[in-house]
Amino acid sequence: MSPDAQARMAQTPEQRRKNLRLGLALFTVALVFGLGFFARALWFGL
Amino acid sequence: MSAVLDHHDHAHDDHHDHAPTGWRRWVFATNHKDIGTLYLLFSFTMLMIGGVLALLIRAELFEPGLQIVNPELFNQLTTMHGLIMVFGAIMPAFVGFANWMIPLQIGAADMAFARMNNFSFWLMIPAALMLVGSFFMPGGAPAAGWTLYAPLTLQMGPSMDAGIFAMHILGASSIMGSINIIVTILNMRAPGMTLMKMPMFCWTWLITAYLLIAVMPVLAGAITMTLTDRHFHTSFFNPAGGGDPVMYQHVLWFFGHPEVYIMILPAFGIVSQVVPAFARKRLFGYTSMVYATSSIAILSFIVWAHHMYTTGMPVTGQLFFMYATMLISVPTGVKVFNWLATMWRGSMTFEAPMLWAVGFIFVFTMGGFTGLICSMAPIDIQLQDTYYVVAHFHYVLVAGSLFGMFSGYYYWSPKWTGVMYSETRGKIHFWSSLVFFNVTFFPMHFLGLAGMPRRVADYPMQFADFNALASIGALGFGLTQVFFLVFVVFPGMRGKGEPAPQRPWEGAEGLEWEVPSPAPWHTYETPPKLDRSATKVIG
Repeated sequence: MSPDAQARMAQTPEQRRKNLRLGLALFTVALVFGLGFFARALWFGL
Repeated sequence: MSAVLDHHDHAHDDHHDHAPTGWRRWVFATNHKDIGTLYLLFSFTMLMIGGVLALLIRAELFEPGLQIVNPELFNQLTTMHGLIMVFGAIMPAFVGFANWMIPLQIGAADMAFARMNNFSFWLMIPAALMLVGSFFMPGGAPAAGWTLYAPLTLQMGPSMDAGIFAMHILGASSIMGSINIIVTILNMRAPGMTLMKMPMFCWTWLITAYLLIAVMPVLAGAITMTLTDRHFHTSFFNPAGGGDPVMYQHVLWFFGHPEVYIMILPAFGIVSQVVPAFARKRLFGYTSMVYATSSIAILSFIVWAHHMYTTGMPVTGQLFFMYATMLISVPTGVKVFNWLATMWRGSMTFEAPMLWAVGFIFVFTMGGFTGLICSMAPIDIQLQDTYYVVAHFHYVLVAGSLFGMFSGYYYWSPKWTGVMYSETRGKIHFWSSLVFFNVTFFPMHFLGLAGMPRRVADYPMQFADFNALASIGALGFGLTQVFFLVFVVFPGMRGKGEPAPQRPWEGAEGLEWEVPSPAPWHTYETPPKLDRSATKVIG
């Protein structure tokens, strides 16, 4: 890969922070749903 | 390819630099950008009409019993919702994108047949009026389902004739549009823009256009036979005269399955443009993308009877169509993995076009998986005509086609309008749509698995909760699209917003970003000289 292309693909710290925040938010939503289904299955059966 | 001179030495050529004004600009439009705008406005109008019908359906299904509409009207609503969304909203919207972007992306001055382009568009208006107006005909609108199955179509009132005529006209419009696109792409590319350097959106549309030309006449044949059965005492599909209703299903689905890909391939093309731009990398596996798209198109011709497992076909037939259908997941998987590989270790940012593209990949893949489940004959026999199928194809057509279009709108609208949309509003639009879409359609999987039949106005009490949830989601999804119209589209049309630079996305490549924003009325009147990658103009 050319140095130019590599430079283009490097993330800025702000980009990294924003993407991490988005990833965490989505992961939390997925986790809440997953735990919710698990809890529902425990209490009410499948 | 000969160079086209743009030296306007003659006085009578002066008016070429200026767009006509008033109604003449639109009625006599031959400019690809104007016709693209007309297509997009028309399709959004039809989306709204189809959406209102969907909300009426969901309002009726909010709770068990019959509250708002009677079963006859309910059947009309489901039929017209399908017809309007497929033929009035999704297909014309992609033609709008094609009109706007294909000449810009290949460095052509306009579409090959500019006047036929005008005719293609204006044919749609009487067809749409006839389709929507059929609600006011004696007996109401067609109510045989969007597939217009015989023998139901043979038993209906005069609106069925209006519906068939409208389909004929829309088919003629689509065929003309496709001829235009094929000729434009094959003959009008700028020197150096070889086929394998062409943007993916143009590739997917080229393949889609061939699909359209192949299958629209088949639909026309099926509904013409229906018409002669209705009025000229033939019995193609009428069992009373020795005809075979199942034959109609074979003919219809020979059109219908490629039609599914006609509605999704251009969205694949848009996503293949957006993902590299916002990952700041070249598209991973460009060549394999082209071959995968072609494979999907070819395979789409040999899977039609997976819509008909319950018609009593032999097991060998079921096996053939089951395996052929499963085979489609291979090229589709190639595309999905290529998008993921494009994003892999890219310098990603998530502006609205990228959000829609990533949302598309996530939710469309879910629709693809449920499609794989439906492809299995033993399972499909259980799921046939249940809400599972409704959930599946809405995941493919709303989260697929529509999300792809929204991605394309946010990506290219700065080039169209000359102003940037509001990023906050774009994000509100995306997240609301994603949440409400899933609230609407995810519960339908459970309803279908539990056995709730589609196209029925009432249901037992056991399905009440998920139906109420789906109706709330549908209302939210509808309101979100009104938000998009009022707070994103209208400001853009009025030129409100930050002026858009020539290339608003730093990672975007392609000839459309080599012209100013908004794109001038005439572009690439002289074929541009391109660099080796055919993404930049060098002279």
